[in-house]
Amino acid sequence: MQALLSSRVGSQLAGSGVLFAVLVLGGLAYASGGAPARDILVTQMLINAIMVIGLQIYIGNTGVLSFGHMGFAAISGYAFALLATTVERKARIVPDVPLGLDSVSLNPLAAAATAVVVTVVVGLVVGLGLARSGAKSGAVAATVITLALLFMVHEVGGAYADLTGGRNGISFSVGRGLDSRLWIYVALIAAIVVARLFKSSRIGRLAQAAREDDLAARAMGISPARGQMVALVLSVAVVSVAASLRVFQLGTVAPSTFFFDYTLLTLVMLIVGGRNSIAGSVLGVALMTVVDETTRHLADVEIDGGPAEALDIVLRPGLTDIVLGGSMLGFMIFRARGLIEDWEIDHWLRRRFGRAEAVPEPLRAAPTPEEAQLSVVDITVDFGGFRALEKAGLEASNLEVVGLIGPNGAGKTTLLNVVTGLVEATGGSATLTEQSAGGPEACPIAGAQPFEVARAGLARTFQNLRLFPALTVRENVNIAALVASRHRPGGDRPSVEQLLVHAGLWEMRDRRARELDYGNARRLELVRAAALSPVYILLDEPTSGMSNVESVDMIDEVRALAAAVGAGVVVIDHDLAFITGVCDRIYCLDQGRVIAAGTPEEIHADPQVQAAYLGAAAAGPAG
Amino acid sequence: MIDLVQSLIDGLGRGSIYALLALGIAVIFGVMHMVNFAHGELITVSAYVAFAVGVTAGWGWWAAVPLVFCAAVGTSVAIEFIAFRWVRGSSDFTMLLTSFAVHFLVQAIFVMTMGASVRSFPRPEWADRVWSVGDLNIQVIDVAVIGATAATLAVTVYLLQRTMFGISLRAAAEDFDAARLMGVRSNKVIRRAFILAGALAGIAAIFFLMRTGQARPTTGLSPLLKGILAAIIGGLGNMRGAVYGGLLLGVSEVLLRSWLPEDLVGITDGVVFALIALFFIFRPQGLVYVRSAERV
Repeated sequence: MQALLSSRVGSQLAGSGVLFAVLVLGGLAYASGGAPARDILVTQMLINAIMVIGLQIYIGNTGVLSFGHMGFAAISGYAFALLATTVERKARIVPDVPLGLDSVSLNPLAAAATAVVVTVVVGLVVGLGLARSGAKSGAVAATVITLALLFMVHEVGGAYADLTGGRNGISFSVGRGLDSRLWIYVALIAAIVVARLFKSSRIGRLAQAAREDDLAARAMGISPARGQMVALVLSVAVVSVAASLRVFQLGTVAPSTFFFDYTLLTLVMLIVGGRNSIAGSVLGVALMTVVDETTRHLADVEIDGGPAEALDIVLRPGLTDIVLGGSMLGFMIFRARGLIEDWEIDHWLRRRFGRAEAVPEPLRAAPTPEEAQLSVVDITVDFGGFRALEKAGLEASNLEVVGLIGPNGAGKTTLLNVVTGLVEATGGSATLTEQSAGGPEACPIAGAQPFEVARAGLARTFQNLRLFPALTVRENVNIAALVASRHRPGGDRPSVEQLLVHAGLWEMRDRRARELDYGNARRLELVRAAALSPVYILLDEPTSGMSNVESVDMIDEVRALAAAVGAGVVVIDHDLAFITGVCDRIYCLDQGRVIAAGTPEEIHADPQVQAAYLGAAAAGPAG
Repeated sequence: MIDLVQSLIDGLGRGSIYALLALGIAVIFGVMHMVNFAHGELITVSAYVAFAVGVTAGWGWWAAVPLVFCAAVGTSVAIEFIAFRWVRGSSDFTMLLTSFAVHFLVQAIFVMTMGASVRSFPRPEWADRVWSVGDLNIQVIDVAVIGATAATLAVTVYLLQRTMFGISLRAAAEDFDAARLMGVRSNKVIRRAFILAGALAGIAAIFFLMRTGQARPTTGLSPLLKGILAAIIGGLGNMRGAVYGGLLLGVSEVLLRSWLPEDLVGITDGVVFALIALFFIFRPQGLVYVRSAERV
């Protein structure tokens, strides 16, 4: 038992089972002995739970707000209804149905399976579009594409009556179709397990990193499009199953079955508990069902006491929506991450029943690595009319620490951005040459995507600190190690735990990155870069915002960490004491050009450097 | 050729309303970085005001004009005060859902108080009149809306280019932190952005309601969608782009309606949405896109 609960997957399966049991037993307890209406309510709650878990897989892991999932649900619902309705009934309500559907009548299971296939194919097409837009301009464009999808499906549903039965939709002759909840139970437990395992899967975790900080994720070697695509396909499949069940249960599908009202309901359910948690999604479903049922009772009470029967019709729809809209507004303002954020039952199971964790071995210095050379030659960058870099370059071996200094606006960060693929250069080249068994191997990196550069072995940090704020300290480092294990093969590298101990972050490994103080956050970013098992670590102002004492400490930390993972360092900084202490060689940039290069002593003595820093006019080339 | 000119005029008539709404959405996106899904509710509220003026009070449509305008401005400011100021600076996700929630709340309040049914109110009799110039049939309301939009845009451009308010608004849209350091007061500029967006929506509402003459809880939904899509076609937050986006959307709708085969005319909107989705796949940054260096 302890072995089961100590293992990751084991505890997740056990947690999923507990979650399923709690929801189902709670529902059965409420339904037992009550009116048939309660029975229907519980059935609907279970179907809603599947639907919301489907939404969670995409929205939770990618952070993209999708309205389109109800569009997918509608496609699936129509496909199911068209396939499952009897031939005679179809001849009456949709006599001119195309594609030869008029002679098809499948059993519900086959119809639902076909509906999933159809919907997933549509999902793949939409996903390709989303990947293109999402990777370029963030989540807002993706949200709008999904919204356009929802409205497109709704329009077609209402207007293309030959296929969809128009505004009245398609209804089953048999009335309410589901007479046993067996398939709902099967679908629900499957949905919970799929969602939970995906959340902790490699792709799921990389998607969460991209959700937290797209730019940092790409600089860590993650290609966000792939995770989004997988999440979309999985989530569309689950949503599609839920949609078929809902249509079967309602006995009808119409344009309004999967539209704004249902979008609102399911989104509220998703965010109330916590969109990043499967337990949270289920909690939200249960809570909102209770709230909905209570308002319904309130409305009933008012009708019993009041004079007008008509009040019922007016009051009910409006009141429910006000409660839903109000909950959504309230949660967004006061608790946008939901009640339990990203907590899962298995977290508790593992802590309660699992084995305690041993403090790992201390870190040893890595053996001297094979020599590698980073050559950045003649880089020119124009921003509109402004030339940020003019034929700038640097040479660095992975056995040394190279500094890049220069006044504000000299182009230091731009040079780093060119090397890591964030800024496109107008001209010039950057090459990483590694010694391998068959001699030197040159890998061009200028013009590559940021995640390709990271995978080639260049890890970077950011001037303004880009951690994955909602993930734990350990998970931040784990993400980099995950990328390294796939794309940076070879060598025995320090474990994530060793790195955390080394940086003094072991005690706070389970805290969220956003809760760290500034110095520790800087340290975490450094360790995260080191965990990528890079050839070079590129540091953009690692001491900015630190006190003098802290930045002197940073000298040793940078050197020790570089030695531990066997990486070279290229560092930008303003702090001359830090730069002089940490660097073997220094390049000085001014107005986009390299004006000096040499050892720290040579740089200090250089008249051009002094001119650039102190502002004497004559020395530097006019810009 | 005549057909094309005809379509162009019809399309600009429609597109003007989209452009005004899109511009308001772009202005708010500029200062708050939020896509305002509650923008259509300004039209819903205006519609019920028009109903109250025209039917309950029994006044003529001219009385509704200033009141509709004021209702839109007032609602815009009220929504900012009640909901949006609390989520300033939150994640995109939080702000999107906040405005989505407001959209639903306003709608639900009208369902509760007024019922879900359609309420009709009188429209000016000239709204249906058509001028025939040669082979062209020009709807008077199209001319009115195009003229009013042009005038409104001229005033807006003046406001944005020449007044302190406009300059601080544009500065805030460019870089809010820098603008604040330069002495722009965030409360004031955001409130005024909502006033401006409300005023633009007010003008749009006047003509939109003259055309439809109906009020119901979901009145604002369709114009909202078109406004958002237009704003995003134009490159979100880009004010000039939003106006182009609106006009382009209006014209392409009318053109599609005349080009599409008979049995697809019913789903023109569906086709438009599909085209827009395609457009984003190939140009996710929108029509007008000012490249700015990514801050890292």
